Amino acid sequence: MISPSVYKQFKDIVGKPYISHDPEVCQAYTLRNRGFHGAEARLLGTVPACVLLPKTTEQVSAILQICYQHEIPYIPASTFWFTQAGPRAENCLFLDLKRMNELQVDSSALNATVGPGVTYAQLQAEALKHGLYTMVPGGGSQASVVANHLSWGFSPLTYRVGMANRRILAAEWVLPDGEVVGLGSLATGDDPFWGEGVGPDLRGLLRGSIGWMGSLGVVTKMCVRLFPFQPERLRSSGVSPETFLVLPTHRIRWYNFLCQDLKTLLEMMVEIGEAEIAAAVMRVPRMWRFIAKAESKEDFWEQWNRSNNKEPKDSSELLRVLLVGYTSTAQLEYEEKVLMAIAQKYGAVSRPAQQRDQSWIQSADSVSMWWVSGAFMSVTGQVDTIDCAAATSADMVKLKEQYTPPLVQDHQDPGWFQATDMGHGGYLEFLNYWDPRDSEEMIQLVDRYYHLDGPKCLVQRGALSFFIQTNSPLSLDGPHFGPHYDHWTRKVKEMLDPKGLSNPPGILDAIDQVIERAPWLKKHKDW
Amino acid sequence: MDHLRLERFRWDAENCCGCKSCIWVDPIYVQGKDYSIRCPSLQRFKFDSYSALGRLKLALAILNGSMKITEKALDIIYQCNLCGACDTGCKRNLDLDPLMVLEALRIRAVAQGAGPPPALAQLIRRVRDTGNRFGLKRAKSAAWIPEGIKPSNRAKIAYFVGCNASYKNNSIAQATVKILEHLGIEYALMEEESCCGHPLFVSGAASEALALAKTNIEMLSDAGASIVLTSCAECYKTWKVDYPKLLDKPTSDMPYKAVHLVELLAGLLAKGGLRFRGPIEMKVAYHDPCCLGRLSEDWTPWHGSRGPNGLTQPPKPYRRGTNGIYQQPRQLISAIEGLELIDLPRTRENALCCGAGGGVLDVYPEFAAFTAQDRLQEVIDSGAQAVVSACPYCLDSFQVAIQSTGHLLKAYDISHLVSLALLGHEVAQ
Repeated sequence: MISPSVYKQFKDIVGKPYISHDPEVCQAYTLRNRGFHGAEARLLGTVPACVLLPKTTEQVSAILQICYQHEIPYIPASTFWFTQAGPRAENCLFLDLKRMNELQVDSSALNATVGPGVTYAQLQAEALKHGLYTMVPGGGSQASVVANHLSWGFSPLTYRVGMANRRILAAEWVLPDGEVVGLGSLATGDDPFWGEGVGPDLRGLLRGSIGWMGSLGVVTKMCVRLFPFQPERLRSSGVSPETFLVLPTHRIRWYNFLCQDLKTLLEMMVEIGEAEIAAAVMRVPRMWRFIAKAESKEDFWEQWNRSNNKEPKDSSELLRVLLVGYTSTAQLEYEEKVLMAIAQKYGAVSRPAQQRDQSWIQSADSVSMWWVSGAFMSVTGQVDTIDCAAATSADMVKLKEQYTPPLVQDHQDPGWFQATDMGHGGYLEFLNYWDPRDSEEMIQLVDRYYHLDGPKCLVQRGALSFFIQTNSPLSLDGPHFGPHYDHWTRKVKEMLDPKGLSNPPGILDAIDQVIERAPWLKKHKDW
Repeated sequence: MDHLRLERFRWDAENCCGCKSCIWVDPIYVQGKDYSIRCPSLQRFKFDSYSALGRLKLALAILNGSMKITEKALDIIYQCNLCGACDTGCKRNLDLDPLMVLEALRIRAVAQGAGPPPALAQLIRRVRDTGNRFGLKRAKSAAWIPEGIKPSNRAKIAYFVGCNASYKNNSIAQATVKILEHLGIEYALMEEESCCGHPLFVSGAASEALALAKTNIEMLSDAGASIVLTSCAECYKTWKVDYPKLLDKPTSDMPYKAVHLVELLAGLLAKGGLRFRGPIEMKVAYHDPCCLGRLSEDWTPWHGSRGPNGLTQPPKPYRRGTNGIYQQPRQLISAIEGLELIDLPRTRENALCCGAGGGVLDVYPEFAAFTAQDRLQEVIDSGAQAVVSACPYCLDSFQVAIQSTGHLLKAYDISHLVSLALLGHEVAQ
């Protein structure tokens, strides 16, 4: 319960229309149990005591000062999608930041300054007007630009523009006690154009390990890098659900190649990077190919089952490459020649590719992941080397077999691979689907796979996943990574949030608490 | 009406993954920071509870017995235009039916005696007592018929005028019959036309809406008509979608075909049967009425069950808003010399409601005005000189919004422009 006098203080800050403690309103701000936070939602999830919609940094600061004074826990959330948003502590405030939606593109300085309520779809659309672009993350274009930059925002376009957290310039950060800190050029002025500033670079602290997921105050403004794109307009076309951008094919083209096996595909991926060509390079999980073609869930399953029952099994692998003539058509033509030469070398067969973009430039069809069975989560999303990605994938395929069912049978699909940083790195995301209406016993097996055996597998391989904070107990992975990244994580947290008010239990203890409360998990805890 | 009970849509409420596609315009069509929200309710009230995402959680809590339909819940349920923008957004990537949940919530509210809100209850009484939503005497309905116009007593086509054009925006009905006369299309009016029942259905008064549907269908049959022609998008959707839905029958099995004026005219245009006179020099933005666009696809009942992974058996047919009436009005506007058609940022299935839908205009006029202003600003920013729609309620919304801002923008129903282009003189508004 928030006391009436404190509630009034909050109301005075944000204004009456932007605060509510009505249970019917608060009910909307709860965790879902259809994926990444399934067990958390069932075991820790609760309804917030109050929802606030601040508009300015000053309001956020004033709210956090009151929270600090009265020891009121809070959870900040921007677009409330795909994050740890959703309270897991009683009597929690929910800070819905959607009204903080300032967006300004500085085309000469190649950056945009955004509030936490701005989505990638909005930013990308504004950037494209200026001949600039950013990436739209795998999480979807409805993800908050700020929230996603605070973690490891990632998508095929990251191949050229790098991971999101490396694109942060200046930022405005309200610490858990309400103090406002300016990072980069905002430390000494009001132009957020630059990430460097006086004193130590706090951006690393802000990012933490893989983002704090709202556990270390609130970032209220951020300047992010944009990159020069090709100048042609991408025309929106089609009617839902078949909507797409029409590509100007003299400047942008998608290419599909069938490779004989995963090894060939990955080698080709590396060589494309070494040739310093392309805008995106990815292996498309087999299931996605069926999702893209299906007209409904039922249609998907019919096609999917038919294909999997067919003999001989199709073991081919699909490599998808995006080429962009950033500077000219000649660039595209040159890159195409290089790409075709690489494909020929590896015996990859060119397949037709529609010259339109449904996903990745302005949209990201991540939501389709929930379409297959109603529940989805990735047990790893890692940025390391291609070799590490391949090895982890092999481990995970073996582990998954033990848990299929309840996991949906995907016939040893190795997952979603991408080349990153022009081939310097390799990305793996290992995808899992299951039926959320399955029996309790089966759901508990999913929990075990996701929170115990999956993380153990990653620890053993030394693969650091950015989903570590949604699925792995800190007490399990902390000693292995860093080592003891759990120690310094706690120290930072204790230093800046000594009262533990920012999104408790946040990234520190949520999964450990899940395991403690779930007998079906606790009995397997062996560390 | 078991098939419209909230319990039937538990799966849809449970399986929302929280992606917020119900709120945002399809990202492919997002054109920047502005005009990227498709849900009027969320745009106005800001809290997530005022979106399909929040209402689905509310529905689930009601189904689970952890929440009752309180006064606040009633506000959340009815402060929604039932415009279907959420439904189309959701179905771009998922196979859920959020709109059915929203409708079922209202039906449940009424069934439990908690709803509808007083203004809608009054509206229902007016329809019951007078046969029209304005509570005006029935005799006045024919007063709009222009001099010299004589509909047939009996024809294959029955022009269903609707409450709004009968009692308020007469110019739409007048333009429509003048167009029909000019084109030599034989039509009749229903002798004692009653409200289509749209206000009853959106109020959640499903039983009363069903009774009215049966009466209207019977009257149509008595009149010997097999085509119901409407110039009102709400009437159109009611005949085409809601009657079959209430009767639990497919649209294709209904003993009539619902046709909107723009469909009829676009069909003639395609066959070379429309000859427009002199030019109308104007930049116009077309506003897609929800009930003519994304909500107008045929209804097909589904009585199957769900198996593993939520698979439906038999396969459930989905209405994704793909086949709404989007092209026909645009074809007509484009065919009129001098008219320059501007597409708004939120267009076709992504269009923002004018604000009037779902009973909002009657219960929450301030909310309706807010949404109309938002849409009007979108039109103004597009550089259009006029906004054109194909529904009298949209026309009302825009006219009020224009009046309150004092902007010089004009608002037309498409029947006005077509009659002007065909007949060479403007029908008085």
